[in-house]
Amino acid sequence: MRILLAEDDELLGSGIRAGLTQHGFLVDWVRDGVAAERELITGAYQACVLDLGLPRQDGMEVLLQLRTRQVDTPVLVLTARDAVSARIAGLDAGADDYLVKPVDLHELAARLRALVRRAHGQSVTRLCAAGVELDPAAHRVWRDGALVELSQREYDLLHALLLNVGRVLNREQLEQHLYQWGNEINSNAVEVHIYHLRRKLGSGLIETVRGVGYRIARDAA
Amino acid sequence: MSTHEAALTAPRSLQKRLLSTVLALVAAAWGLAAAMTWYDARHEVSELLDAHLVQTAALLLMQPVDELEDKDLNLVPDLHKYQQRVVFQVWNKGKLLAHSANAPREPLADLKTRGFADNQADGEAWHVFVTPGHRSELLLQVGELQSTRTDVVVVSLYSMIWPTVLVLPLLVLGVWWAVGDSMRPLRQLGEAVAGRQPQSLAPLATAGVPPEVLPLVTALNGLFDRTTELLAAEQQFTANAAHELRTPIAGIRMQAQVAQGATQEADRAQALVATVQGCDRATRLVEQLLQLARLDAESASAATAQCDLAEVARSVAADLEASAQARQQQIVLNLPTSIVVPLAEPLARVLLRNLVDNALRYTPDGAQVHVHLYPAAVPGAVQLCVEDSGPGLTAADISRLGERFFRVLGTGRSGSGLGWSIVQRIVRLHGLHVALDRSTQWGGLRVRITWP
Repeated sequence: MRILLAEDDELLGSGIRAGLTQHGFLVDWVRDGVAAERELITGAYQACVLDLGLPRQDGMEVLLQLRTRQVDTPVLVLTARDAVSARIAGLDAGADDYLVKPVDLHELAARLRALVRRAHGQSVTRLCAAGVELDPAAHRVWRDGALVELSQREYDLLHALLLNVGRVLNREQLEQHLYQWGNEINSNAVEVHIYHLRRKLGSGLIETVRGVGYRIARDAA
Repeated sequence: MSTHEAALTAPRSLQKRLLSTVLALVAAAWGLAAAMTWYDARHEVSELLDAHLVQTAALLLMQPVDELEDKDLNLVPDLHKYQQRVVFQVWNKGKLLAHSANAPREPLADLKTRGFADNQADGEAWHVFVTPGHRSELLLQVGELQSTRTDVVVVSLYSMIWPTVLVLPLLVLGVWWAVGDSMRPLRQLGEAVAGRQPQSLAPLATAGVPPEVLPLVTALNGLFDRTTELLAAEQQFTANAAHELRTPIAGIRMQAQVAQGATQEADRAQALVATVQGCDRATRLVEQLLQLARLDAESASAATAQCDLAEVARSVAADLEASAQARQQQIVLNLPTSIVVPLAEPLARVLLRNLVDNALRYTPDGAQVHVHLYPAAVPGAVQLCVEDSGPGLTAADISRLGERFFRVLGTGRSGSGLGWSIVQRIVRLHGLHVALDRSTQWGGLRVRITWP
């Protein structure tokens, strides 16, 4: 999952980036409000961790701009302001969740997973299709009950496809899930990872839609 | 009335005070009017009755008085209630020749008297007119009871007093109501203030408020405004303090958790280094807060100590040399060998450290920070000047410096926003003069502190 982190504090920002990376997130880090808005309106992120006290443009303003432009990327607001009125103002401005500093790394990761899951209309924590089961919290995948070892990027692709089960994702959209600043990917990376996924999880799981992209079909109810 | 007396006597209701004052004035005015009426009426009645006595005497003189018989006089019919009170006597050489039936037998007045006289006769007070008759040996005395005259005046006075007695209660009611009605805006104001929500600081409405009450409402609204500003500043301070205190702790916690979860030794080591940096930063913040708290408690009277500012500047520069070199920054000192100022050595150290540290912190790598110390133009005065080659500050930022926890954003530097507050506090405690502007030589911020 690709996350945008908007935090101006060097110590906290580097900590969150390292911590979320440990939890399998791809984290891009911006240090001011203007950059945060510029990156978020591309829609390339599954979620955003937004500090409110940002230079150049306040986090609250970023949030308002985002919602005005109808960018519905889930936003988790990170702030030192714990007054109830501040939380209400944040949530009303379009925040999806609110954490007061200091935050626990595991809680932050869990809340981000929940935000992404809810944003895709999923209410169950485990994602399932065609005998394959993915647990975002445990970061594990099973095929017919047996644990399957996946690389981080393979896992990211599978997670993206399962979150959008029934929908076709094109190569660019899938690449966004793999791409991280300073971490370029090969032009055929998606094809390579899909090939490995099919090998590990069976060829029937991921369909190729010719000229469009890839899809995992919704289980017949 | 002194405040001491005022504290002892209970405050009187304005309404009661107004009412008693108005009623006392009305009573006094009425009393004066009554007294003047009494005086006037008595005078007029006196003149009228005197004229009447003279007229009676004139009529009697027309009669052949010596021929009058007692019985004739008694036949005079009673034509008026006061008629019986008018009496006459006709004397002839000291002998009572004739008299009215109701007249006393002794002379009404001394027989030598002529004209008007007041006299006692037969146990009563009389007002008498004495005139000689058409024959010189005859003397006519016409008298009237004094009480009659008084009765007339009293009756006329009564006719004036009884409506007053009747009207006075109505007047009391009327004045009570009018005063109460005039006090209504004050009562309404009191109710409006009492009925407010405790946290409400909205201004009171000034529409329809009478001019006497308006200054009070305006003053209250001014007070509300100032309280609102204070509260806003307080909230801003709390929010800033929360941010500055929580962020390093959040960073430390996050880095520690990263270290816990790191699978690579290099990642773990990096996170631990960051954790220690975070602790240093938190320590510095706590130190600054404590410095500020101590300075807030300190009074200028305690500041009698002296120190060698040049020596302190050299020492501070040496302390900060390492962190300056880490960013290829240069601290340039331009100091006399010794310059003693009235400032305790620990405070001088705090002052210089904050100034130089701020300059290093908010200038880019490779920047220069210059510290000059020199006797100012005025004899005995000393000027400390710290200037840098950084980007400087905008006028807006300069005006906000010293707001505790205010930091110029986007500098990419960690800091608490307390350093300048500390400098300002020391400057104020010791009556020093501080000036902030752009360095003409280096282009960055220039801070000049002058000892008078």
